[in-house]
Amino acid sequence: MSLLARGLNVVALAAVIGVLIVLLWFQFARGELPCALCLVQRAAFIAAGLGFLLNVRFGSSESHYGIVIVSAMGGAAVAGRQVLLHIATSSRLSGPVVFGVHFETWALIAFCTIVLFCGAMLFVESQFVEGVRDVRPHALAQYASWLFVVIALGYAVSALLVCGVGVCAENPTGYQLPWK
Amino acid sequence: MMALPFVLLVLTSLAVALGLRQLSIWIWVAALAATVYAFHLHATGALHLAL
Repeated sequence: MSLLARGLNVVALAAVIGVLIVLLWFQFARGELPCALCLVQRAAFIAAGLGFLLNVRFGSSESHYGIVIVSAMGGAAVAGRQVLLHIATSSRLSGPVVFGVHFETWALIAFCTIVLFCGAMLFVESQFVEGVRDVRPHALAQYASWLFVVIALGYAVSALLVCGVGVCAENPTGYQLPWK
Repeated sequence: MMALPFVLLVLTSLAVALGLRQLSIWIWVAALAATVYAFHLHATGALHLAL
């Protein structure tokens, strides 16, 4: 895998991890509980990040970029839906505002950026020469993999606490704690 | 229900961390299906709007 492609995949993975950590911070430090559509977008971010993680861990593959693109397009569809709902109904189902822009709009921008990034990366044909391999991974890849496991686990627990085992509430106001 | 996609994504990332590439991709497919289903359940219910 070319050094440039590997470096860019690491940067992209770090960016996705950063987004996921910031979202968790907003939820637990600022009390901004995610709505149902927000949770679906978060799942899309994790799924897209997994594509970059596969590139970092096993080497670049068109299928890995396909995973990123499909996940990001799904996330963009959900984010776009939430943006349109907010415009059409001025509903309260909108995320917090950061730099004057709602979360769901930032998510739409991020997903579109991810898709464009993958489109550009697919032009770097030299990264596919080696093919995928399962050799002893670089330490960075291992750390990133386990960090991703921890973050995904955190989101799974978060989703369970916010929505319980059934359908999510329209606008969650508290956690579904087992002892309540 | 909403936790199911995240649980599957945890399993996907676990498979990647353990070096199980093919398995991770298949679990990702399942996670994608679960996410689409979760979106279907919640896309319109909150505001009672038709798609």
